[in-house]
Amino acid sequence: MLLDVGTLLMSNGASTGRVRTTVNRIAEALGYEAELLITSRSLMLTVTEENGSDYTSSVRRTPAHGVNFKLVSGISRMSWRVIEENLTVEQINEDIIRLTSLPHYPRLVVLTLVALAGASFCRLFGGEGFEMIIAFIATFFGLFIRQEAIKKRFNPYIAVVFASFSASMISGLSVKFGFGTNPEYALATSVLFLIPGVPFINSLTDLMDGNTLNGIVRGVNGLIIAFAIALGLMFAMQIYGI
Amino acid sequence: MSLEILSIFEKGIWFGFAALGFAVLFNVPQRALFIIWLIGAAGGLTKLLLMHYHTDIVISSFAGATLVGILSVSAAHNKHAPPLVFSIPAVIPMVPGAFAYRMMLGLIKLSGTAVTSETYSLTLGETASNGLKTLFILMALAVGVAIPMLISRKETIKKIRHKSDADGG
Repeated sequence: MLLDVGTLLMSNGASTGRVRTTVNRIAEALGYEAELLITSRSLMLTVTEENGSDYTSSVRRTPAHGVNFKLVSGISRMSWRVIEENLTVEQINEDIIRLTSLPHYPRLVVLTLVALAGASFCRLFGGEGFEMIIAFIATFFGLFIRQEAIKKRFNPYIAVVFASFSASMISGLSVKFGFGTNPEYALATSVLFLIPGVPFINSLTDLMDGNTLNGIVRGVNGLIIAFAIALGLMFAMQIYGI
Repeated sequence: MSLEILSIFEKGIWFGFAALGFAVLFNVPQRALFIIWLIGAAGGLTKLLLMHYHTDIVISSFAGATLVGILSVSAAHNKHAPPLVFSIPAVIPMVPGAFAYRMMLGLIKLSGTAVTSETYSLTLGETASNGLKTLFILMALAVGVAIPMLISRKETIKKIRHKSDADGG
């Protein structure tokens, strides 16, 4: 059960320190002592009863990383309720099942709002109405392609390349044919929805927390994503000869 | 003058929407969405206003990110969600995409055949400047947003100890 909590947190965008604190919090409340070995792809746990009479160890593989803050925040709240309301193990298990089955936002809402974020980026860099519309369309389709690629179980980095390529192919059209006043803004901002913000910030949090190894792993992961974005963008620019 | 300030506030609104988009992408709980919009806008406004009064872009980004971090920690206490749920979507709109894009253009130019010996050093200089700006702004953002979280985490651990002591006693 504790492994469930830990692996869920780790794969959905919590920092190493948070995984450790939350698992320890729950274990303590249930009257056990937990020691953890946390790496990015697996989790090792030893649980000891408080009087030292019995212990058990177990290892679990962490599933591929994706970001789901609803789950992170739900588990964090649940861990407090374990202390305050003395939940039993069965109740905690039920709660984990409930949290993992919580619905995501509807796909169209996600696509539209992320596309709106793309348009906002474009406005922030000095683009105007027309460029914002281009950035909106490009981001919309880029994210759509990425979701499809992930659904078809492509390598996540390849999915980023596909997304960045298709987004910049759309926004590149306006640069190629010189629509609007500053079409480059639309091109530069249409791939920004892919930036690896969660890996980078968690990487830094881990590094400053002393979890150096996990911090480096996350940082490298972020760098590869950044490189994948650049690769897709470069393909599109070479095709258009911009 | 006042028109410029007005346009800065207009951009603040867009900062908020950019933050909102990422919040939905990361599937944050619904009760946090509006707060994220506010925090994103506040952080972005801080950065733009400081830049308006001729502060360096790196320092301005750092200040904006720190504000986002502090607001996220207090929002986390009110809304019962970990601070990173608020801070990550809110800080992403401040990422220097334009500089990164120009750096990449420069790198492509430098490695291609289009560049001549006269323009080479100019392009190299521009590329290095854009790249360094990108790097330092990113570092300022990450450090700025992480510091309030790291400081406040110690407080949370203290609270846990007190609580479990109280329960045990």
